[in-house]
Amino acid sequence: MPAHHPVIPAELPRQNVLTWLRSRYFATRRDAAVTIVFAAFVAWILWSLIGWALLDATFAPNAGEVCREDLHGGACWSVVSTRWRIVLFGLYPFEEQWRSAIACIVMVIVAVLSCLPWFWSAKRLPLLWTAGFAIFYVLMRGGFFGLAEVTEQNWGGLSLTIFIFAAVSLLGMPLAIVFALLRRSSLPWIARTMALVIDVIRSLPLLSIMFTFAIVLPFVLPEGLTGDKLYRVIVGYALFFACYQAEIIRGGMQALPAGQEEAAKALGLGYWHRIGYIILPQAFRNALPPTINQFVITFKETSLVTIIGFFDVMASGRAASGTADWNFAVVEMYVFVGLIFFVFVFSLSRYGAYLERRLGVGRR
Amino acid sequence: MTEPAIRIASMHKYYGSFHALKDINLEIAKGEKVVICGPSGSGKSTLIRCINRLEEHHSGVIEVNGTPLDDNVDNIDEIRREAGMVFQNFNLFPHMTVLENCTLAPVLARKIDRGAAEETAMRYLARVKIPEQAHKYPGELSGGQQQRVAIARALCMAPEIMLFDEPTSALDPEMISEVLDVMVGLAEEGMTMVCVTHEMGFARQVADRVIFMAEGRIIEQAPPDQFFDNPQNERTRTFLSQIVGH
Repeated sequence: MPAHHPVIPAELPRQNVLTWLRSRYFATRRDAAVTIVFAAFVAWILWSLIGWALLDATFAPNAGEVCREDLHGGACWSVVSTRWRIVLFGLYPFEEQWRSAIACIVMVIVAVLSCLPWFWSAKRLPLLWTAGFAIFYVLMRGGFFGLAEVTEQNWGGLSLTIFIFAAVSLLGMPLAIVFALLRRSSLPWIARTMALVIDVIRSLPLLSIMFTFAIVLPFVLPEGLTGDKLYRVIVGYALFFACYQAEIIRGGMQALPAGQEEAAKALGLGYWHRIGYIILPQAFRNALPPTINQFVITFKETSLVTIIGFFDVMASGRAASGTADWNFAVVEMYVFVGLIFFVFVFSLSRYGAYLERRLGVGRR
Repeated sequence: MTEPAIRIASMHKYYGSFHALKDINLEIAKGEKVVICGPSGSGKSTLIRCINRLEEHHSGVIEVNGTPLDDNVDNIDEIRREAGMVFQNFNLFPHMTVLENCTLAPVLARKIDRGAAEETAMRYLARVKIPEQAHKYPGELSGGQQQRVAIARALCMAPEIMLFDEPTSALDPEMISEVLDVMVGLAEEGMTMVCVTHEMGFARQVADRVIFMAEGRIIEQAPPDQFFDNPQNERTRTFLSQIVGH
């Protein structure tokens, strides 16, 4: 940039808050009226919300009776403080729930670590996740090291949701890359077959895929190959995820100028080097926003496992407020579950935004 | 005579039913500098891109340093390592620094260790006069600088032949000479060069032979003095008058 611009003062003259308010919101009589009406409306909503959620609310555990007799009509967070364990751990045996908690925390730590650029290498990332899953499995399932065995049927709550999400993503992402590469194969029959498979699976509802993998597959597969229902559902879901994600990756690849692959070829780089060092890194950069989108959707749709009898965080929440003692506090429980989802999905979005800045998407 | 660097015999190339290259016969000796020119659509880029298999030829023979270019992938990779290429649009890898651009292929395809590859890269970056840009990303450089990086990147593979596909056509006029200077220096060191370009001053200065193509055929080839001062073919004369005319 040339330096001969007129000197711009580093700070605009400070504007008085009052003048700013007046010019923005009270410029004319009508503006003033609209401003006052809306401000009052917003204040009223906020006040009711605070009153319901905080001021008039009951927080103490085991205070269901108090809530029922409460004349203020505030929120009954007592349902959460009494029955939060069901939401987090589902049907997991009470005395063993510390294991589920640690497993859950391990998974979150692994997820956070894998967001750090230091772990982004072909060796570290798989190692990290393998270790994470191993610890999770040993803790949750038990049967080793004097830990009581807890079968997958009794896993539940937030730990189950996180496990399904992590497993589907980890299984689905490599599968998606393979699908995208096959879809782009220079051999027409491979490319067409892959396109057909992707189109067929995408045309089926996720619910029916989960159902098929959970219930129908054991009749078709030889015994010993079926595994637990939970893993079958994860495989089915991963397949579904991979088909969507493959198209996202393919989109990212097609956005690359042809010259990139040509330059790599001209340097004598072989197919896997071209894919691993030139094509995929740039394709992922191009495809970052829809990829984050896909992860968000995947996290939220883990709730569908309820249909085949698993108690994910959503179903556990419903179960926790579903007893005769607590069925008046359904809203509070949904708010709590919603908050859990929000924390995870919002973090994911913010991480996506950070990545976009870091990788300079759209700068080129 | 020793084995030629590039030998092309009775080579044809089609795009569908379009006959893009017709009966190309060409031998380029080691150390020879050849400039290919011709109107757009004459097949000159296609020809140079056939030499390292960015385009596939359909019949005839192409040999680079005696290695035949066929469906054998090892041969193709071998030829691509021996023949460096510089593109019109630079085609640097935007997600890597200049230095990483230059060391990637030597480390992966030539199995040279990273330290040695970086040393070589810095030497070539110094030679194209931009060692101070080594840790920048291509997007931060001017077109002329990017093209010089592209030349350095190709040289890092220690090729015996350099292919230039209109290396100055995408550059702003004031940046052309900095790239041509690097190419002249390369020619003086005895590199075998095949260069598709419209820079006739460059052709006159360094070329041993100028080839004129039209409609997929080699129409005329001659040393630059003869080519520019006494062209034999009517189409060559028309082409040259159009180029010199502005």
